[in-house]
Amino acid sequence: MKKSVLSTLTLVGICAVMAILLALTNFITAPIIKQNQEAAANKALLEVMPNGEKFEKVEFDAETLPKTVTEVYKEKNGGYVITLTTTGYNSGLVIMCGINADGTVSGAVCLASQETLGKEKTYGDEFVGKKSAEVDATDTISGATKTTTAYRNAIKDAINASIILGGGTVDIRSEEEILLDNLLAALPAGEGKFTNLFIAEVISGIDAVYTADNGTGSVYVIGDEFYGVPTGGTSDNENVAAAHAVLSASTVEDIDLSAFEGLPKRLVSAKVTATGNYILEVEGAGFGIMNDEEYIHSSGEYIIVRVSITPDGKIIDTLTVYQAESEGIGDACAKESFYGQFDGKTEETYKDIDAISGATYTTNGYLKAIENAFAALKVLKGGNE
Amino acid sequence: MMKNNNLSVLLKGLIKENPVFVLILGTCPTLATTTNVTGAFGMGIAALVVLVCSNILISLLRKIIPDSVRIPCYIVVIAGFVTIVQMVVHAFFPSLYDMLGVYLPLITVNCIILGRAEMFASKNTVGKSALDGIGMGLGFTLALLAMSTIREVFGAASFAGVAIPFLEPYKIEFLTKAPGGMLVFGCMIALVYIITKGKAPKKTSFSCAACPNAANCLTGCSDAPDAETEKGDA
Amino acid sequence: MLKTLIVILLSSVLVNNYVLSRFLGICPFLGVSKKLDQATGMGIAVTAVMLLATAVTWPIQYFILDKVGLGYMQTIVFILVIAALVQMLELLLKRFSPSLHKGLGVYLPLITTNCAVLGVAINNITDGYNFLESMVNSLGVGLGFLLAMVLFSGLRSRIDETNIPKPFKGLASTLIAASFISLAFMGFAGIVDNIFG
Repeated sequence: MKKSVLSTLTLVGICAVMAILLALTNFITAPIIKQNQEAAANKALLEVMPNGEKFEKVEFDAETLPKTVTEVYKEKNGGYVITLTTTGYNSGLVIMCGINADGTVSGAVCLASQETLGKEKTYGDEFVGKKSAEVDATDTISGATKTTTAYRNAIKDAINASIILGGGTVDIRSEEEILLDNLLAALPAGEGKFTNLFIAEVISGIDAVYTADNGTGSVYVIGDEFYGVPTGGTSDNENVAAAHAVLSASTVEDIDLSAFEGLPKRLVSAKVTATGNYILEVEGAGFGIMNDEEYIHSSGEYIIVRVSITPDGKIIDTLTVYQAESEGIGDACAKESFYGQFDGKTEETYKDIDAISGATYTTNGYLKAIENAFAALKVLKGGNE
Repeated sequence: MMKNNNLSVLLKGLIKENPVFVLILGTCPTLATTTNVTGAFGMGIAALVVLVCSNILISLLRKIIPDSVRIPCYIVVIAGFVTIVQMVVHAFFPSLYDMLGVYLPLITVNCIILGRAEMFASKNTVGKSALDGIGMGLGFTLALLAMSTIREVFGAASFAGVAIPFLEPYKIEFLTKAPGGMLVFGCMIALVYIITKGKAPKKTSFSCAACPNAANCLTGCSDAPDAETEKGDA
Repeated sequence: MLKTLIVILLSSVLVNNYVLSRFLGICPFLGVSKKLDQATGMGIAVTAVMLLATAVTWPIQYFILDKVGLGYMQTIVFILVIAALVQMLELLLKRFSPSLHKGLGVYLPLITTNCAVLGVAINNITDGYNFLESMVNSLGVGLGFLLAMVLFSGLRSRIDETNIPKPFKGLASTLIAASFISLAFMGFAGIVDNIFG
C-alpha cells in the first residue's frame, strides 16, 4: 500500500514539475505568439490600408449594416477595414476594403472568388482614393459586367458601413427594397406584394404601373413620384386618374391561351389592351439550345422577351424579361440599345438589326422570339375576328 | 576506452542503428513531414531536442521513478517537453509551426523517444543518455533529410524551397503526395538493407521492447522472416 | 446539419484516411495487418478508443482547459487521458467480458501510443468541430483505420507468398503495396467533393 502511494506521489510530483516548466515557457512565449498572430492578421489589413496603425476588431449588429458586411476592423485614426461577401457572376466573392476616416477608399483586395474570368483579383486598385459617388465611374472589368457591378456595390456597401459605424445614417436598402418601400408607402393595403404590369408604354404620361397582388389597388409611377390608387378610387393627378380609369375598365385583359389552336409553343402569355394592342411574352432559344428545341448544353436557357405590338403587326416596344446568357453577352443583349432596335419594326423588317457581336446564338434567339410573337399575333387576331 | 565508448554511443544512431531505416521507428513523421526539406529538418531538430531533454531528465530521475508507474512518468515528461518545443516553435518559427501542424504534438507518441527513455536513459548515466539522445536525434534528422531531399528535389523540383529550374520539366509530383512517401520509404529501407547486408541489429535486443507498440511493431521489421520467431520471445 | 455530418464521416473514412493519406497510425497498420482477424480486432479496438477518447477530451478542452487558460496543457493532458482510458477499458473488459477481452484486450495496450488516437483528439479541437461533429469524425477516422487494415491484410498475405528480391522482403514491399492502396484512395477526394460539394 505504502509503495503504491509513493508511486502515485512520484507521478503527481513529476506532473507538477512538468506543469511548472510548461507554465514558465508559456509565460515567455505566449506574448510573442500573440504578437505574431496579430502581426499576421494586420498584414492583410495593412494591404488595404497601408497607412493604418493599430487595428481592432469591431463587433457589430448585423441588422444595422449592409447585408454583405461580414467583418469589421476599426483603425486607430478612425478608418475601417471591412470584409464583404457578395455574389458576382457566382457566389462567394469576398472583398476586403479599407475606408479612410474621410470616407475615401484606401484600398481593396479580393480575398476569394469563383468568377470565371479571374480579372477581379486586381480590380480593387481602381477604387483607391475614390469617394462613394465616384465608385460607379471606375473602369469596368471588360466582359464581366456582373462582377464589376457586384464589386462596385460591395465597395459602396463598405463606405456606407463605415459611415454607419461612425454614427451617421445611410440608406442601406437594395434597389428592390427601396422600390417596395415606396410602393407600400403609396399603397399600404398592398401588403408587400406588387406586380409590375409593364404596360406603361400603352398609357401616356406614366413611367410604370404596379398592381397589388391582393387586388387592393395600383401604384402609378411618374418620375420619382409614387401615386397609390385603391381599386375603384381616383387620384388628384390628372395623368394618374386617367390611367387608373383606363386600367379599372379592364384595359388590359389576359387572353386565355387554351382557347386558341396553332399558337407557337414558345408563347408564354398574352394580354390585349383596350386599344386593341397586344402584349406578348415570347421565348427564344438562348445559347446552348439548337433549333429552338434541342439542348446541346445543359445550361442552355430560353430568353423571354416582352413585345407590345399593334394589331396590324407593328412593334411598339420590346423588353428583355429574362436571360441567362454568358457573362458579357447577356449584359449586352439585356440593354435597351440592343432590344430597342425592334421598336417600330414589322414582320418584314424585324430582322434588319445590328447583331450582338460574337453572339450569333443569342441574337438568333431574339429573332426567333420576335418571330414567335408575329406568329402568335396572327393566331390571336384570327381568333378575335 | 571510455571516450571511445561515448563516441560509439553517439555514432551508432547515425547509421548502424538508424532509428528510421534500420529500427523502423517513428514512421508517421517520417512519411508525413518529408514532403519538403525545411519541414523535415524542423521536425528532426524538434524531435532531437525533445529526445535529448527527456533522456537527460529521465536519466536524472531514474533512481526516483518507481517501476510500476514508469511508463506514465515517461509519457508525462515527454509530453511536457514536446509542449515546450511546440510553444517555442510557435513563438519563434511560426511558419514552421503551421507547416508541421498536428505532427508537432504527435512527437509525444513517437516510438523513438519512449523507446530510448525505457531502454537507455533509465539505465545509463546522464552524460551517456544525453549523447544517446543526440545520436538518435541526429540519425532521425538525417533520415528525414534523406527522404525529404529525394521527395522535394524530384517531386517538386526545389530544395528547401529554392527552385531547381532545370529539373522543372521532369518533376514527378506523385512523390510529394502520400503514396509517393510510402514508395520512397519502402525503397530506402530496401537500400539500407543492401548497404548493411541485412546485418542490422534485431529490434528486441535494442529499444523496441519498451514501446507499448513493441509486440505489433516486431512483425513489421525489415527482416520479416526472423520477426516471426522473435515474436514469441517478445 | 445531417449533410455536414455525412460529409465529415465520408471524408474521414475515404478522403482523409488517417493511415493512407495522413500517415497516422502507420506502426500498427504495418504491424498488425498480417492476418484478417488481427486486423479486424485492432481496427475495432482503435475505433472504440477513439470514440471514448474524443468523448472525454473534447469536454476537457472546452470546459476545463480553455476556461482556465491552460490551452497549452493540451498534449500532456490528452495523452494522459488516453493512457488512463485504455487502462480502464482493459480492466473493465477483463472484469465484465472476459471473452471480449480475449479478442480485443491484447490490442489495447498498443493503442496508447497509436498516434492516430492522439491525432484525432487534437485534430477535432484544431478543426473547430462541435461535440457531435467530433464524435462523427472520430467514428469516421476509426472506420477508415479499420477499412485500411482489413483491405491491407488481404493484400499482405499474398505478398508474403510471392518470391521477391531479398532486400524488398518484409517491410519494404509492404510499404510499396501500401503506397498503391493510398494512390487508389486519392481518387475518393473528387468523388466526395462532387457528391456533396
